[in-house]
Amino acid sequence: MTTPTEIAVERRGGAIVAHLGGEVDMTNAGQVRDELLSSVPNDVLAVVIDLSGCRYLDSAGIEVVFDMARRLRRRRQELRLSLPPSSPLKRLLDLTEVASAAPVYETLDAALDE
Amino acid sequence: MTRRQTDGHRDEPRVRARQQEALADLGQRALAGMKLDHLLYEAAATAARELETEYAAVLELTRDRRGLLVRAGCGLPDGVLGAVVPAGPHEMPGYALQSDGPVVVENFDGESRFEPTTLQRTFEVVSAMVAPIGVRGRHFGVIGVHSPAPRHFTNDDAHFLQALANVLGAATERALHDERVRDSEARFRELADTTPALMWMTDAEGHVAFVNQGWLRFTGHSLAQELGHGFDLTAHPDDRDELVAHWRKTILRREEFRFEYRLARHDGTYRWVLAVGTPRLVEGEFVGYVGTATDIHERRTMEEALRESEAGFRDLADTAPAMIWTTDENGLVTFVNEGWLRFTGTTLEEELGATWTLGVHPDDAEELQASWDEAVAQRRRWEREYRLRGQDQRYRWIADRGVPNYAGGRFVGYVGTAIDIHERKTMEGRLLEVYQQEHRIAETLQRSLLPERLPKVEGLELAARYLPAGQETAIGGDWYDVLERADGRVALVVGDVVGHGLRAAATMGQLRNACRAYGLVEASPAEVVARLNRLVTSGVEEAMATVLYLVLDRETGEVVFTSAGHPPPLLVAPEGARYLEGGRSVPVGAADSAVFREGMAVLPPGSSLLLYTDGLVERRDVPLQRRLDELALAAGAPEDDLERLCDRILGGVLGDPSPIDDVALLAVRPEPVAADRFDLSLPAEPGSLVVLRRRLGRFLHAAGASQAEAYEVTLTVCEAAGNAIEHAYGPGDATFDVAAAFEDGELVATVRDNGSWRERRSQHRGRGLAIIKGLMDDVEVAAEDRGTVVRMRRRLAA
Repeated sequence: MTTPTEIAVERRGGAIVAHLGGEVDMTNAGQVRDELLSSVPNDVLAVVIDLSGCRYLDSAGIEVVFDMARRLRRRRQELRLSLPPSSPLKRLLDLTEVASAAPVYETLDAALDE
Repeated sequence: MTRRQTDGHRDEPRVRARQQEALADLGQRALAGMKLDHLLYEAAATAARELETEYAAVLELTRDRRGLLVRAGCGLPDGVLGAVVPAGPHEMPGYALQSDGPVVVENFDGESRFEPTTLQRTFEVVSAMVAPIGVRGRHFGVIGVHSPAPRHFTNDDAHFLQALANVLGAATERALHDERVRDSEARFRELADTTPALMWMTDAEGHVAFVNQGWLRFTGHSLAQELGHGFDLTAHPDDRDELVAHWRKTILRREEFRFEYRLARHDGTYRWVLAVGTPRLVEGEFVGYVGTATDIHERRTMEEALRESEAGFRDLADTAPAMIWTTDENGLVTFVNEGWLRFTGTTLEEELGATWTLGVHPDDAEELQASWDEAVAQRRRWEREYRLRGQDQRYRWIADRGVPNYAGGRFVGYVGTAIDIHERKTMEGRLLEVYQQEHRIAETLQRSLLPERLPKVEGLELAARYLPAGQETAIGGDWYDVLERADGRVALVVGDVVGHGLRAAATMGQLRNACRAYGLVEASPAEVVARLNRLVTSGVEEAMATVLYLVLDRETGEVVFTSAGHPPPLLVAPEGARYLEGGRSVPVGAADSAVFREGMAVLPPGSSLLLYTDGLVERRDVPLQRRLDELALAAGAPEDDLERLCDRILGGVLGDPSPIDDVALLAVRPEPVAADRFDLSLPAEPGSLVVLRRRLGRFLHAAGASQAEAYEVTLTVCEAAGNAIEHAYGPGDATFDVAAAFEDGELVATVRDNGSWRERRSQHRGRGLAIIKGLMDDVEVAAEDRGTVVRMRRRLAA
């Protein structure tokens, strides 16, 4: 049994937005990472992971973010996160200093405006 | 290997004309129904020829859409066919699919966007052009031309390749459609071979495309003998012409097919069957009929026999009645004839006087006496059917009739006649039995379209009932369903397609599947129902249905629902039952611009929710509101067991065991959660984490934790549990235990495994402990005799 998740990708100008829904944990983190990476075309400047619909994220999920940021940086692409301040995930992201690898924005528009 | 350097030497207008010709040629072949594989080869050859490249290849997306398989090629050695290259965006094929247009690489040397694929590398490809086949979202794959020499591709070249790809796109769509038809037929076959009924399927021309095992057992034929023929092959010669004529008429109009005829059985005899068929649609296109044949032989022959013996009865009554009797004006027997005495084995003395119930079956006696007394008092004609004991002491059915007798205008008593109707009567009973048997077959079919058993859903108790309508042999269109969404919520559906028969059942199947698909991707109930509405009103099939679609959050008990013309869900809380208001809209299929609303509620702890179809509450002559009140009353009394609750409701509300309409009932109850203590032992495997999360989430919610607190505590416990799982080795490490309780208002959670605590090597595990320490107020890791215990404390705000 693996954890169910949903990824919906859309293109917004020079960026790709990946809406990450459901839950990410150690059972599906690898799969989530592969799916996210394979949906990033070469010609975008930024990738925004929208976490507003994400109900659960654990350390394996955090590792996916760090790993993706590292890989994208090599391709001169930037990883950004969008997370509403009211999200239960907020403290986890603060605690793990995710922003050091991928800046966190309070809204999707703010993440895309950069 | 010749390396053509053609750039700049081409006569452009002539090239264009030739390309257009080649395109028209391929289009024609595709239209003529050329086999897909041949067409793909033709396309590759055409591309290589017209674009003057060494190689051309057609690649097909693999099932998981992560790879591309070399399906056909030109100039390629045999070994390359069947090879798979990745469909990633950093190589030309994957990128062409993503951008949905042709991609050109003039020279890989100096190309920054793409890496050559492994195949391109093998063939030392320098220039290449790739175009996607098929429409976005349903791509088949790509077609590409590849050259080991540097090539310049013009805009016209790119258009030509894309045009070739579009021809292939249309052809593959059709091939895919055929495949879907085959798939749906395969599913039908699987289903059909497990039902006892005789089932059949035809193609659009009306030829037999499939008959099930039941049919083959009946006719004694092999499948090969039946395929491709019409039904006239196995019909009685006398029925053939009419059958064929009726079938032709039906199939032209695509109406429901219904015909009684004699079908040849394996033993050479003919049996009456009722064939019923309904048009089959795949993606809106008529592809033939699907239907059943029911053995109605006994009913037919018995009906005929009954007609004969009734005629015989009339003759008997008119000419020489076998049993005759007379009474005086007070209704006392004054005479019975020989025929009567022969029947009963009694003497005349025994029969005279007030002997009306003499020899009458105890079950019939009381009613007989009462009706007789009443008739005599009013001097009316009397007529009854009852069981009378014969001389062999066995009861036989007789039809007895008495007529007032007047002599000179004065009432003197009755003259009566009785005849033995035992054969007819028992035939009627058997006839009823046969009808019921047919009905059971219909019911079996209906059940096979419903989920065989409800899924096991963590944290929920579920029960369902389906009662087919009692009087009709038709199959109804009610359904229910349960599915688990990716966001952890659970969708519950109950629906009712308007109408009966195979058509309603087929529509039901379609709507149920569509509802499942939409329910998985759409979070909002109103949107799921709106999509169903669009599906139905887009004209695939004229249909109307009422649907109740509800999503339940197991942690919080929150429900969001949309009711499309459906009766409201009933909340059965410990303090009583009440209907959930709101979220009401018109039925699905009623209007194409319908707006669907959502209602919301929170299930109090210990309550259940009932979803049902209107067969449960609808009764002619009884106002709906009163029926709803009755249902609420029947459901209201406390009941621990959900199955028993369902039984009690059906018993209490329906009363009559055979409802006039189909009834579907779905009951759900979140499992009770203790709010003071949590204890759970789970196998040390990754799949346990989901179970742990769901249960702990419910406990924390019940204990009053906020959403953020619940998430943070669940996360830390799962991080600790994840450690136990990753360190599980032999059978001794097979389980881990989680406990949580409150001590002085502080939540204390422990995770105990049977191994020794080791920090994992991978980096995210390093983060694991940091997360645990960061989110909890206090953490201790202790080695105990049996293993490692992580004890965590956290003060909750509430």
